Amino acid sequence: MTRFERITLLTAFAAALASAPVSAQDQPKQDLPKQDLPKAETILDRFVEVTGGKAAYQKHTHEKMTGTILVPEVGMTGNLVRYSAAPDKEYSSLQLGPLGKAESGFSGGVAWEKNAITGPRVKNGDEKAQAQREALFNAQADWRKVFAKVETIGSETVNGEDCYKVQVTPTLGKSETQFYSKKSGLLLKTATTAVSPMGEIPVEVEVSDYKTFDGVLVATHSKSKMGPQHLEITITDMSFDQPIEAELFELPAEIKALADKAAK
Amino acid sequence: MRVSRVARAKSNRYIRIVKPRKSRARAVVSVALLLVLCAFPAFAQLTAQQKQLNLASFEAVWSAIHDKHWEEKPAGLDWQLIHQEYRPQVEAATSTDAARAVMRDMLGRLHQTHFAIFPAAVYQDLDPSGAGDGWPAFEAHVLNGHVIVTESLIPDSVKLGWEVLQINGSDLAPLVAKLQTDPAVHELQLERAVAARLSGPIEALRPMLFADAANARITRDIKLIPPRGNFAGFGNLPPQPVFFQSKMLGNTGYIRLNMFLDLVRVMTEFGDAVQKCAHCDGLIIDLRGNPGGIGGMAMGMAGWLVNRQGLRLGTMYMRGATLNFAINPRAEAYAGPVAVLVDGSSASTSEIFAGGLKDLGRARIFGTRTAAAALPSVITRLPNGDGFQYAVANYISEGGQALEGHGVIPDVEVSLTREALLAGHDSVVDAALDWIRKQKESK
Repeated sequence: MTRFERITLLTAFAAALASAPVSAQDQPKQDLPKQDLPKAETILDRFVEVTGGKAAYQKHTHEKMTGTILVPEVGMTGNLVRYSAAPDKEYSSLQLGPLGKAESGFSGGVAWEKNAITGPRVKNGDEKAQAQREALFNAQADWRKVFAKVETIGSETVNGEDCYKVQVTPTLGKSETQFYSKKSGLLLKTATTAVSPMGEIPVEVEVSDYKTFDGVLVATHSKSKMGPQHLEITITDMSFDQPIEAELFELPAEIKALADKAAK
Repeated sequence: MRVSRVARAKSNRYIRIVKPRKSRARAVVSVALLLVLCAFPAFAQLTAQQKQLNLASFEAVWSAIHDKHWEEKPAGLDWQLIHQEYRPQVEAATSTDAARAVMRDMLGRLHQTHFAIFPAAVYQDLDPSGAGDGWPAFEAHVLNGHVIVTESLIPDSVKLGWEVLQINGSDLAPLVAKLQTDPAVHELQLERAVAARLSGPIEALRPMLFADAANARITRDIKLIPPRGNFAGFGNLPPQPVFFQSKMLGNTGYIRLNMFLDLVRVMTEFGDAVQKCAHCDGLIIDLRGNPGGIGGMAMGMAGWLVNRQGLRLGTMYMRGATLNFAINPRAEAYAGPVAVLVDGSSASTSEIFAGGLKDLGRARIFGTRTAAAALPSVITRLPNGDGFQYAVANYISEGGQALEGHGVIPDVEVSLTREALLAGHDSVVDAALDWIRKQKESK
């Protein structure tokens, strides 16, 4: 799961509040005979290599990402910050215009979110599995730990660029489809399903503007379509292994109370 | 969000406020063009330019349904065939009225509500220009065809139950009669048209003629004051005055909000009000006149009123997505009796909230049938000057009922009456209080 997917899924609820139906866009299909397609393992490994190599990924233990978000249909803008740390800690905060602050995280086996509408909430089931997968640090480099099955299922163009279409089935959460450039090996698009109490929302994320941060090539712009809603996210800064406050990943008091109550 | 049912917003979906007071679309239509169109008798031959405007309007209507209806085959119809069938009829139309009739017939094939075309003249009545943020410090609603004062912050000057006869020398009765006779104009739109005439620039002086309790004529120069509440926008939606009120009526909590906007403030105040009411005999939530707003706020507020997981208010179906209006119960949720007050101007998010809680058996609904406008819909201006409203989603309340076109039918149907207002009573609030009292006595 890409950083953008994580952010996009984080915003699923907020964005759904401001969703705007649009026509579904058909993808041009140019499927090749399966025997002519490279193995999915090769495609995923190539991505790791072209974005810096496994060693570059593995030298980091935590990261901070900041960015901006735009919901074009409604003219809403916001800021986001996401912290993640090995092996599977994550905290995100999104400030999206009049929707206020929305926080989410995964720590100590608890997936949670908190926003002005629903208040504090602990995630369960598929939603928790999704959050747990999103929290895995360096998931892209360690994809073999994340995906139980990977398969190249065809070819397709993404914004005019020929891509291999790879279906990945994670050990936790729902399967997704990833589109890797035949030319550059970079991931250009993902298609998955966001799970929330509001239902399962199809999500397509197109990524671009790859830039290098401390040896790792990272896409810094995305355009997402979540059901009827569009989102644009731009990463403005990314840093690795800078000091962060340990309590950042601690569960908020009201979340801890809910988790303790559920555990009884 | 989205779309406007939202005042002046063009494309929001989750904001569902029904009638724009002033759309941007109207700004692009020149006054001169409207005057020319209005000056022509209905039977006059169309000029080439007018014909082109009607064709452009047809294409706009057809495309909106094609692109934005929640079903890829709207109402099971082959919309491309519909185009082939109706475009020649518009081309052959010899008047704007005839072209409008063809387009209305096309929309009628959907057999769905909130697809309507308003003639330019009616659209102007519904959407008067020159309205401002100032309000007269009283509210008035149409009761039995008369504009009656239902709330007054200036009781020494304007009393409850008085009838508003004239504003700025213009009689209201003809406007009300005209709008009430148009089947395309719903109560909500009528109320907003009246409210728009009561509003104007802040500090403006409005001469108004009233009929008092004895139907004697009384003139007042009413100075328009800033609206209640805080201005809050949402994305492209320009700031709107959002009013939230919380008070006690004896030992019953009373909450009123005029829109589901200003999310952070209103959700916080709502939560605070509910928590302060933990030991109340009951809770009244007054959504009369509330045209809607951010749909998610209905879910959030319901979370303060239910204590079971896994509940939802209903489901919204859009092109490409289905959204459950799921409720996250708050730890401090209120468990006592809840009464929700609605009327014909309670729309959209108000209906989602009231209808969902009714279906869940969590609230008793008092008042009159709601606007039946639960869907996000758009009202835009067509190239020929007509207004065009279309829905972009379908919403099914938890009980399986589509709110669109049906509305929420109160458990206790009770209307405001001029007589009760003149006696200082809100008969809807009284009915809710009576029910809450009986709930307490039955324990």
